[in-house]
Amino acid sequence: MKRTASPAFMQNLRDVLEVTPLLVVLLGLFGGALLLGLLQSFGYAPWFGINEFPTTRYFERLWLSSDFWFSLGLTLYYGFAATLIGLVISVPLSIALSKRFKGSRLFSALIRLPLMVPYTVGIALALVMLGNGGLLSRISAGLGLIDDPSQFVQILKTHGGCGIILVYVWKQVPFMTLNLSAVLARAGDDTVEAAMVLGANSRQIFWRVTLPQIMPGIVSASLICFAFNIGAFEAPLILGGGYPDTLPVLAWRYFQDSNYAFQLQGMAVVVSLALVSGLFLAAYLQGYRRYERARGRV
Amino acid sequence: MKKAKSLTRQMLLASTLAVVSWSGAVQAEDAPGMFRSEFLKGNLGWPEVTAKARAEGTVNFYYWGGSDIINLWIDQVATPALAAEGVTLNPVRITSTKDTVDVVIAELAAGRREEAGSVDLVWVNGENFFSLKQQNALWGAFADRLPNSVNFEWDESDPRSLLNLRDFGVETGLQEMPWSGEQYVCSVNRAHVPVDQTPATFAQLKTYLEANPGKFTYVKPPHYLGNTFVQSVLYAHNPDGNGAEPYQKNFDELGSAELARLMEPGIEYLKSLEPLLLGGAAGNPRYPENSDELDNLFLNSEVHFDCKFGVFANHNGLITGTYPEQAEEMIFPVGNMIKNKNYLTVPLNSPHPAAALVAINYFSSVDAQASKLQAAGMPVGLDLWRLNDEEVAEVVAAAPPHYGITQQELDDNIAPDTNASLVDVIEATWLAVIERKDNKPLADIVAQVSGELNN
Repeated sequence: MKRTASPAFMQNLRDVLEVTPLLVVLLGLFGGALLLGLLQSFGYAPWFGINEFPTTRYFERLWLSSDFWFSLGLTLYYGFAATLIGLVISVPLSIALSKRFKGSRLFSALIRLPLMVPYTVGIALALVMLGNGGLLSRISAGLGLIDDPSQFVQILKTHGGCGIILVYVWKQVPFMTLNLSAVLARAGDDTVEAAMVLGANSRQIFWRVTLPQIMPGIVSASLICFAFNIGAFEAPLILGGGYPDTLPVLAWRYFQDSNYAFQLQGMAVVVSLALVSGLFLAAYLQGYRRYERARGRV
Repeated sequence: MKKAKSLTRQMLLASTLAVVSWSGAVQAEDAPGMFRSEFLKGNLGWPEVTAKARAEGTVNFYYWGGSDIINLWIDQVATPALAAEGVTLNPVRITSTKDTVDVVIAELAAGRREEAGSVDLVWVNGENFFSLKQQNALWGAFADRLPNSVNFEWDESDPRSLLNLRDFGVETGLQEMPWSGEQYVCSVNRAHVPVDQTPATFAQLKTYLEANPGKFTYVKPPHYLGNTFVQSVLYAHNPDGNGAEPYQKNFDELGSAELARLMEPGIEYLKSLEPLLLGGAAGNPRYPENSDELDNLFLNSEVHFDCKFGVFANHNGLITGTYPEQAEEMIFPVGNMIKNKNYLTVPLNSPHPAAALVAINYFSSVDAQASKLQAAGMPVGLDLWRLNDEEVAEVVAAAPPHYGITQQELDDNIAPDTNASLVDVIEATWLAVIERKDNKPLADIVAQVSGELNN
């Protein structure tokens, strides 16, 4: 019997070939780095003259200290707070911007401005404006409201994290709004109009029609922002309250230490952080899938 | 089709050529590592080094680029001077020397050994030198073999040679060349602190802060500036009264219990100082991450003092506008103003080692050192007693002014650095006691952190 490659097989092959470049990058670069990080966190670093593989010493030392859990709490707090505040601002904003009003074009262009500005510039802006040596404090001192700039109310460098959350929100609201606007534009006005014709009030329209429509946008935007927020280290390093630091800053401190043995401890921090964020994101997606299933969309 | 064929032929030809030239290079005298071993054996004269340097052409100089006046001096003075010797200086300005140490060690781990790396020359001292040495990443003992080595004291029988032969207590093994000698000096803002209230001891500092709470802070250890402040506190509170002396021994010699006993009063002082520091009254004392952040606090009158390594830091701060206009230097803490040197070294896998040696030789000349002192406010690394009168006069004339104190007063209050093996333990202890508020007995903490460091 003569065998010929079935069309289905050829199609499969083509699919595999198409994703190969991405797979190479993902497995080679990302997977390689992940593997190296894992190995190091379990004590494998012969290039520094350290090889105790496998040891769980670094994880034990980390997880048994109460400071680690405080740091984890801080990390999650900044991540959640910034994402939530961002959503609360972005959802009504995107709905407002989906309607035409006078100057709506200019307004939507203006709020996209922070998208083009790097985070570090946002951090510098926060320092210049809100720091105790910043513009606001100097103006207050100049007006005689306070005796010298250092008496200005402490906004930055506290564990409350006003500065960090502010920078994240400032940068991420335009991103979320853009995402949600795209989803809204795709959905169109038909369903909203239909609901209005059927006598729904604006509150009902929001909760029953618009919100479910933009749910996929909310999930994807908040997922991206949350993942970024708990992994970023610049803002918490510069605007945070110092010890105990967030986990990315803690890892950075270990990597900065001139004693190479600390690099392995830093890797344990990074691996723990990846574990936590992976768990959170998986749970979030699971919850979202259940929501969609309940609505009969999947 | 024809085109493809000719392309293949060209590639074949090119690769053959490459193989031929490569095998030729291996047989030739300048095989990677040959220059190094021949120089270190003493088989090469200086003319041969300069000839090889000209052939190499470039030297990649990695250094902390955070000071505009140093960068200007490198670009406007050092680069043309080295160009005259046939070497192109390629300055690579970095924010942290540790990053460069990481690069060198990563390259070596990846098998890029002699003449196959990317860093020729690094400005380094203390822990970073210790890391390079520990990882066998240094090029070799060159420091007494250059023409300008005569400007330094290498004779071990002269105690003054220690600053050239020990870097934070670690033997340099002549693998690095002194570049500059610095001292830990504090400045005071005269707009707020009159002369008669200026503290000279740690007890007086505390008295001042009790009257003016929050007006002092120091850079957070493990930054070396923070470590140095802590070390001077420990020297001044040494219960035996012999200051820096026991801190010259290494950790194994001294032992954890003895170190804890010596540190106890100093650590107690630091604890008691915490509520009086910037932000301390609110229970959240603020330690700046680096000297730039501290300079900003000083400039903003948020603190009244600014301590860092810099014999001419006050002058440099005034001319660059990073210090408040009424900043003056102060003698503080009396008798315990830590002095050390910083160095230039060559990593093992330097791609242009001969050019690096020529550059180091230039940086060690009296002319280069004097002009660096004048333009960049960097104290000389040379030993003045090794120079002739004319050269001494050149250096003295180049020195920037002091404010409120004299060079003699600075020299009278010198204290040596702490042994590098103790620095690690001291910084870990600070992190445990001051930052993490660990209130176990100090001896237990020191034993625990030193155990963690050593395994």
